[in-house]
Amino acid sequence: MQSESLTQRSVVAHSEWRVRAWFREPVTLTVGLAVGGLLTVFVLLPILQVITYPSIQDYFHLSENSRWVRATSNTFRMVLLSTCTSTVVGFLYAMAISRPDFPGRGFFRLMAVLPLFSPPFTIGFSYLLMFGRFGVITHGLFGLEASILGWWSLWVVQTLSNFPYAALAIERALATTPPTLEAAARDLGGGWLAVFRTITLPLARPAVAGAALLVATYVLADFANPLIIGGDFPLLATEAWYRIDGWGDLRGATLLAATLLPPATLLFIGERYWVSRRTYAVIGGRGSSLDRPPLPGLLQWSLLAFCGLVAGLILSLYFGVVAGAFTRTWGVDWTPTLNQWYVALTKADHIRNSLVFAATAGLFATVLATVAAYLVDQRAFPAGRVLDALCVLPAAVPGVFFGIGYLLVFNRPGVPLAGTALVLILAFTFHNLPFSYQIARAGLAQIHPNMADAAADLGAFRFRILWDVHLRLIFPACVAAWTTAFVNGVTNLSIAVFLVAGGNQVATFSILGLIGDNRLEAASAVTTALLAATLLVVAAAWRFSRGARVIPGVLSG
Amino acid sequence: MDKAYVELAHLTKHFGDVAAVADVCLDVPEGRITTLLGPSGCGKTTLLRLIAGFFPPDAGEIRIKGVRVDHLPPQRRSTAIVFQDYALFPHLTVFENVAYGLRRRRVAAPEVTRRVREMLAFLGLEDHGGASPLHLSGGQQQRVALARALAVEPDVLLLDEPLSNLDAKLRTRVRTELKEIQQSLGKTTIFVTHDQEEALSISDRVAVMDAGRIRQVGSPVEVYAHPLDRFVADFVGIANFLPATVRAVTSEGVVLESPLGTLMTPPRSEFTEGERLTILLRPEALRLSFESGTGTLPARIRSTSFLGGTRRHHVQVGQLTLMVDESFSGTAEDAGRQIWLTIDVARLHLLPSEPA
Repeated sequence: MQSESLTQRSVVAHSEWRVRAWFREPVTLTVGLAVGGLLTVFVLLPILQVITYPSIQDYFHLSENSRWVRATSNTFRMVLLSTCTSTVVGFLYAMAISRPDFPGRGFFRLMAVLPLFSPPFTIGFSYLLMFGRFGVITHGLFGLEASILGWWSLWVVQTLSNFPYAALAIERALATTPPTLEAAARDLGGGWLAVFRTITLPLARPAVAGAALLVATYVLADFANPLIIGGDFPLLATEAWYRIDGWGDLRGATLLAATLLPPATLLFIGERYWVSRRTYAVIGGRGSSLDRPPLPGLLQWSLLAFCGLVAGLILSLYFGVVAGAFTRTWGVDWTPTLNQWYVALTKADHIRNSLVFAATAGLFATVLATVAAYLVDQRAFPAGRVLDALCVLPAAVPGVFFGIGYLLVFNRPGVPLAGTALVLILAFTFHNLPFSYQIARAGLAQIHPNMADAAADLGAFRFRILWDVHLRLIFPACVAAWTTAFVNGVTNLSIAVFLVAGGNQVATFSILGLIGDNRLEAASAVTTALLAATLLVVAAAWRFSRGARVIPGVLSG
Repeated sequence: MDKAYVELAHLTKHFGDVAAVADVCLDVPEGRITTLLGPSGCGKTTLLRLIAGFFPPDAGEIRIKGVRVDHLPPQRRSTAIVFQDYALFPHLTVFENVAYGLRRRRVAAPEVTRRVREMLAFLGLEDHGGASPLHLSGGQQQRVALARALAVEPDVLLLDEPLSNLDAKLRTRVRTELKEIQQSLGKTTIFVTHDQEEALSISDRVAVMDAGRIRQVGSPVEVYAHPLDRFVADFVGIANFLPATVRAVTSEGVVLESPLGTLMTPPRSEFTEGERLTILLRPEALRLSFESGTGTLPARIRSTSFLGGTRRHHVQVGQLTLMVDESFSGTAEDAGRQIWLTIDVARLHLLPSEPA
């Protein structure tokens, strides 16, 4: 025990030597201050600006505003409902895909991952194609003309959009539970249900709680799905947008956005500091590999049927989007056509903008994240904890809030950035920084301090060590960090709606416009093109990163 | 006594409130293996890392070949370390790992190639130059780490428990190899281990450490046969301890009163009448027999473990249980049987009694 604590202390002392050395090295201090300065201007400032934009009186009178009260209660209702269903669906799904012997495991896993690479409204949009007024199922199959827009449709869509986060997080926990623990419980006489109830579930509980909080964060912040299928079910995020889009009412918009911040922050803190610390360390020495026994037959078949249903639904929704791109008039005239692609061609600029902006933002985010992670990891910069907090802070801030913040700070007369694509790129950069930062931190954490010591011992000085050891070893992590930021940038709508201007249109925004104009087929074509381009880039990046595959949106603790 | 090649003078290092290394003084002779031996957390690795330069001492001095180095970073010290986990660069080949230190020293490329090849051949790794260290066995990885450290021709080779990640059989073999390599190069080596058998077999000198301090420095035979205190006696080898009181100090020997009765040791001058002591009885200082004789004590076998070349018997003598190593023919089936114990008083070692 003592030796363990001594080792930990020696790692600290270790950096003590470096801190002293680095202090003499003005480069570190300058870089650290520069990163801190950037984070202050591009993270802290926009957040403070949104909070302080309304007056104190405005906050006091909030409860008298019936629309605000309705949006708030709707938002919490949706978060509660969607979180419960997403977590339950995610858990069942995870139970299946965490078992190597589950039939069709690879396919089911792919179906869970797919939504994470598509724009957030893809599920909502394709749901519209299936169940909307001219939906294949509602109109085509049942001849209905009823509108499906509303809260329960949104609930279904949020569940389908967000269960993958829960499934992947819980899958990791279930898969990493040592099979020997379950074997030991069985050996002591527990049946399958008893082992599940007393061992598997309690060990997975922190992961389940973490997954639920993660899903809640995403549902709370989601903007695109409510906009498309929420109908007259006002939520805080969508209301904020309507305030600006329809009324130019910045004060109203900031009030609504500011309301999102406390719950978002609480959920974030809960996920990051409370649940992530309660994960169980596995006690014991080197594990031996042991196959898990097969699931009881009935359960296996029930899970298979359930996963089949969920995956089938996702697959049909994506199929709907692709089919829409080749259809003359959705729900009315099914003649195959390539006409929609001419429309898509006119939006080629927007797709290109999306890719270029997201790629640039990804690059910025990766460089900044790597530098910050290195400074914090090596304890080279005295205010490392502050840097760390600023780097993860944007993850607690809903996109809508961030977008409005940038609108207030940077898109106003007198600011040289105003109206340029750079504002959007910077917003993407800093909003996605936490993901890239976490990946870079995780990458650096895997490098044992002995590696750097070995290089130093053999005569390498600090920049040489940085280059030879740290950068070369975390290169795959950097590619993963870039990929994550890129995907998040391409698929972003909540920030883009507030910051696109003139020549800086991005694809998600023009898709939204096409859906608004009821040109669903053209929207399908643009979505398909965007999705294809994104997946191509991700596939190339994955090849490049030699196996370090990170799935966007799933923060690694 | 060889002149000191590495001198540690009053070295101290704290981590928070814990003194990991406390006022350590040690002279390391040239061309020999000096081992820092002690239990986990005794500060031996910290001491090694202080010598390597991974952190500065709070107080004290480190000299290598008479030159003070404690203010220098590791890059500027003529030491090379082999880590417990080897710390091989996973993104570099075996060749590049070994070449790394030479390249940092700006050795010309053809010379790097020549020296790396030489070193790989010396350690029997010539066929693995292009391989990733991740694809080598534990023993091979260990040799790559050793080659990487030796390639830079350090003045002092530092080995941080380099054998602990190898399985038992391989460990004994590599231990012998390591000793042969060290002897053929005559490299001054500081070796850290918690394994007393390893320390005794490989070292020219052993420094036994406890709680950040060095308890005793000496040859393996010295620390085993003549430990200075109970900690060293207990940590190095198997020990039976008996409390005793000095009854008389005569020219024929020291007369002791112990739970095993009155014992007479060869003459020793440093003890006084009435002094309380601890008697150290190594298992090999005791003999067992089925027949009684002069000076034998009645005993019973409680249990016996078969150790291969020898057996270890736990023997009950009065209220005491003693460990006796012997190829004595008694087996586990003899448990409970009456036997007779002889003490070889020439092999009996006296330790100052410590407050409990």
